[in-house]
Amino acid sequence: MLLDLSEEHKEHLAFLPQVDSAVVAEFGRIAVEFLRRGSNPKVYEGAARKLNVSSDTVQHGVEGLTYLLTESSKLMISELDFQDSVFVLGFSEELNKLLLQLYLDNRKEIRTILSELAPDLPSYHSLEWRLDVQLASRSLRQQIKPAVTIKLHLNHNGSQNTNVLQTDPATLLHLVQQLEQALEEMKTNHCRRVVRNIK
Amino acid sequence: MELSEYVQKGFQMLADPGSFDSNAFTLLLRAAFQSLLDAQADEAVLDHPDLKHIDPVVLKHCHTAAATYILEAGKHRVDKSTLSTYLEDCKFDQERVELFCTEYQNNKNSLEILLGSIGRSLPHITDVSWRLEYQIKTNQLHKMYRPAYLVTLNVENADSQTYPKISFSCNMEQLQDLVGKLKDASKSLERATQL
Repeated sequence: MLLDLSEEHKEHLAFLPQVDSAVVAEFGRIAVEFLRRGSNPKVYEGAARKLNVSSDTVQHGVEGLTYLLTESSKLMISELDFQDSVFVLGFSEELNKLLLQLYLDNRKEIRTILSELAPDLPSYHSLEWRLDVQLASRSLRQQIKPAVTIKLHLNHNGSQNTNVLQTDPATLLHLVQQLEQALEEMKTNHCRRVVRNIK
Repeated sequence: MELSEYVQKGFQMLADPGSFDSNAFTLLLRAAFQSLLDAQADEAVLDHPDLKHIDPVVLKHCHTAAATYILEAGKHRVDKSTLSTYLEDCKFDQERVELFCTEYQNNKNSLEILLGSIGRSLPHITDVSWRLEYQIKTNQLHKMYRPAYLVTLNVENADSQTYPKISFSCNMEQLQDLVGKLKDASKSLERATQL
């Protein structure tokens, strides 16, 4: 599957052959860093001064590279497809190789970042538990009431929520049994077939 | 167990065969237990033809006294001898003491369950449901091809009578972590019960 690069995109990327490979590699590093932490315009100004071009040019170059990397990572295109897509830009052999390497080196991380975009539901973070025995209350003395107190940590939209919950021994066993069944499901023939055939 | 004068007075009246004959005594006793333990019970519990001849004020006093005592006895988990001693002190004859103790014994479990259920507690997990899905793509990421679980915990809030659900997603490793920790908790529970 080839990438479809717009004219504007190609224009932005046209800046790359005008600088040497070290600079392109540096732009690559900046692009990934911006994906991790968000963009920082000051970096463009610094680079623009050093290269003696406008900061807009630098920005477009970096953004073009970012888009190239994210689209390729999103679609998980093969090496060959990447090379063919980049070929239309008419870059040098050396530059093409550099771009491919940038793609392969950063693909996994970029995909992880992309998967974090708009997480819908809270996701599991961790769980702590504690065994308690209630011995008495205001309304009843001399009790032996075992309970398991659970602190469930979930991540949602970047922040962490904690739920403090309790359960009794019977329900705890039930929970374990149910969730073990859930795990076992992945090993069934049906699931294995689906995983094998949807690629 | 400290009981007020009101309760004591009520019991003394209850002990008197002149105010309460055997039948009336039994009825009142049963009414007291019923008021406490039967969710549907209301004031009509004292509306029995065999209790009509008794002054309603006295009836209410004794009913309240009996109910109060039963709750206190339940709360402190009194044994039969404590029960008998107190009733004898209130001048109950042997027959009435026996009757009271028998009724108490019959209702003891329900009473303790009722008392045990009163009070603040943390939200309580009652059930879990799960869903396994195989993620193929999103608009941000294609070719995902990975399994994911959606787990929902059913929770009960005793005081507010609400039943919120806590849902979260997790991947295989996270679910294994969750199950592992819950298993640790249940093994620990098993060990504790064997001590």
